[in-house]
Amino acid sequence: MTTTESVPAPASARAATSRPLLAVDGLGVEFRLRDARVRAVTDLHLTVRAGELLAVVGESGCGKSVLAHALLGLLPGNATTTGHAVLHESDGEPVDLITCGQRQLARRVRGRLVGLVPQSPATALNPVRTGRRLLAETLRAHGRDRADADQLAVDVGLDPADLDRYPHELSGGMAQRLVTALALAPDPALLIADEPTTGLDRPLVDHTLDLLRRRCDNGAAVVLITHDLAAARRVADTVAVMYASRVVEHRDTDELFTAPTHPYASALLDALPDRAFRPVPGDPPMLTALPPGCAFAPRCPHRTDTCAHPPEPTPVAGGGTVACHHPIRTGANP
Amino acid sequence: MADLATRPPLLHVARSRLRLRPGQTGVVIAGLVLLTTVAGSLLAPLVWPLDQSAVALDQTRLAPSWTHLAGTDDLGRDVAHRAVYGLRVSLLVGAVAALVATVLGGVVGGIAGTLGGRVDRILMRIVDTIAAMPHLLLGIFIVAMLRPSLGAVIASVGLTHWLSTARIVRSEVLSLRNRPFIDAAISGGAGRLRVLTRHLLPHVLPRLALATTLMIPHAVWHETALSFLGLGLPPHLASLGNMINDGQGSLLTGAWWASLAPGAVIVVVTFAIAVLAARWRDRFDPRVRAELHL
Repeated sequence: MTTTESVPAPASARAATSRPLLAVDGLGVEFRLRDARVRAVTDLHLTVRAGELLAVVGESGCGKSVLAHALLGLLPGNATTTGHAVLHESDGEPVDLITCGQRQLARRVRGRLVGLVPQSPATALNPVRTGRRLLAETLRAHGRDRADADQLAVDVGLDPADLDRYPHELSGGMAQRLVTALALAPDPALLIADEPTTGLDRPLVDHTLDLLRRRCDNGAAVVLITHDLAAARRVADTVAVMYASRVVEHRDTDELFTAPTHPYASALLDALPDRAFRPVPGDPPMLTALPPGCAFAPRCPHRTDTCAHPPEPTPVAGGGTVACHHPIRTGANP
Repeated sequence: MADLATRPPLLHVARSRLRLRPGQTGVVIAGLVLLTTVAGSLLAPLVWPLDQSAVALDQTRLAPSWTHLAGTDDLGRDVAHRAVYGLRVSLLVGAVAALVATVLGGVVGGIAGTLGGRVDRILMRIVDTIAAMPHLLLGIFIVAMLRPSLGAVIASVGLTHWLSTARIVRSEVLSLRNRPFIDAAISGGAGRLRVLTRHLLPHVLPRLALATTLMIPHAVWHETALSFLGLGLPPHLASLGNMINDGQGSLLTGAWWASLAPGAVIVVVTFAIAVLAARWRDRFDPRVRAELHL
């Protein structure tokens, strides 16, 4: 296991300050099933600074959403967590989101410090209450005026009149914007947005991304979990590529998109329509039966015998980390 | 005349309001029965006052006639008159006891479902244990510990009938607890109490209200049984159970009417409530179309 201190984070040009807001150190999440163990997150290191927008990208089932739920203590009872995720509040002592317990999470963290835009918004809304009542409750619970509901709706691109509808009367995109408004209501220091652009058309995707970008420019931090690489490139300061429960590459957005060093990151970018439009060869591994070494090795064109050992995240020239024994070196960079 | 012809008949209006199918006239009848009995028993002290302890020993065991619609009992008391007051007691006990049972069951089931784990196991085993004993026996035990009074009867009914409600609420809460919107509420910073009262309870309420209504007939019968056994209200106070009990002696002398009126009232009224509750359940949950069709 490595420690966060030894791993330099990407030196983002766009990050407003360098104060680390969240430091995830060796986070692991494992689910016990009746006949198997699923490692959804393995030895994960990440830092998010105030004013930084971190995009977490990766295929479905690579552990992105589990990471979000672990940070909010929302994992089901059969999950065991290891490691730390320390949140440094601007005024107050640091909280370890993994070990502080449900009571602390409920009192201090959730909503106020860490907000979540949940995946699948249609099911995340209480079906017997209107959007306005949900928003008003959240606003009041966090000491804000319930009249701010209209402004929040406008912020996320929702017609305030639609707040008086029940969730089943909303379209998928409207529900998505409503859950975004709900997560923004307590004005959290760190916002985790899990696929916040699902079901939105292009202008609304851009609207939502700009909204998240503005939050970061105002000093808050955002973790954007997404499949949309173009969206990540547009707004993110840094990008973490997850593959089979691990972060395989975490670098500045521009550097990752111009010169990916991990073979998986490279293959993922090649799958983009405006690039090679070539899918990543092979199938992603089952999280119940991960190979002992590098999980990408079976699909990797550069694999050698050393790949049977798990690669540690190592610094890359220009900042950031990559977890690979044979990183791709481009151009003059050694 | 044209106006009258175009105006739909009253029954049709009632049918369309209640969204009844033509075969469900029974619901309308049940509704009317319930409306008259409830209104009648509420207004009785104003329009037809009764001296509970008055007797007329010169008019004992008179057969039903125009002056005594349901005859008189062995103490010369008008059976119809007392049945109205007996119904007041039954409905009061039924409604209050059903409410007590619902609140108790709701709280226990809600706690068991929300907290889960050991608390859930302990609470539900207590429920199983109580449910293993006969209701009536337990009810008798509770009344026997207290002094015979309206409160004791209500306590007896309420404390024995909350078990099914607790199970219903617990199972509802268990299935709701895993829905994503509960996680979403928690991730927004909602504490346990807020999740329970604001997000779980509104979903359980309709079912809870239905359970309460379905429980009223049970509660009424329980009260009647207790009074019949002489464990309910003091004997001079009219209650349907008391009256059926009193009528037993008259039955042997051929005065069948003394028990008939209270018996008929309890059957008709509880049946009416059950019919309406079943109809409500049908509309609330179309999957379990009631077996009760009239």
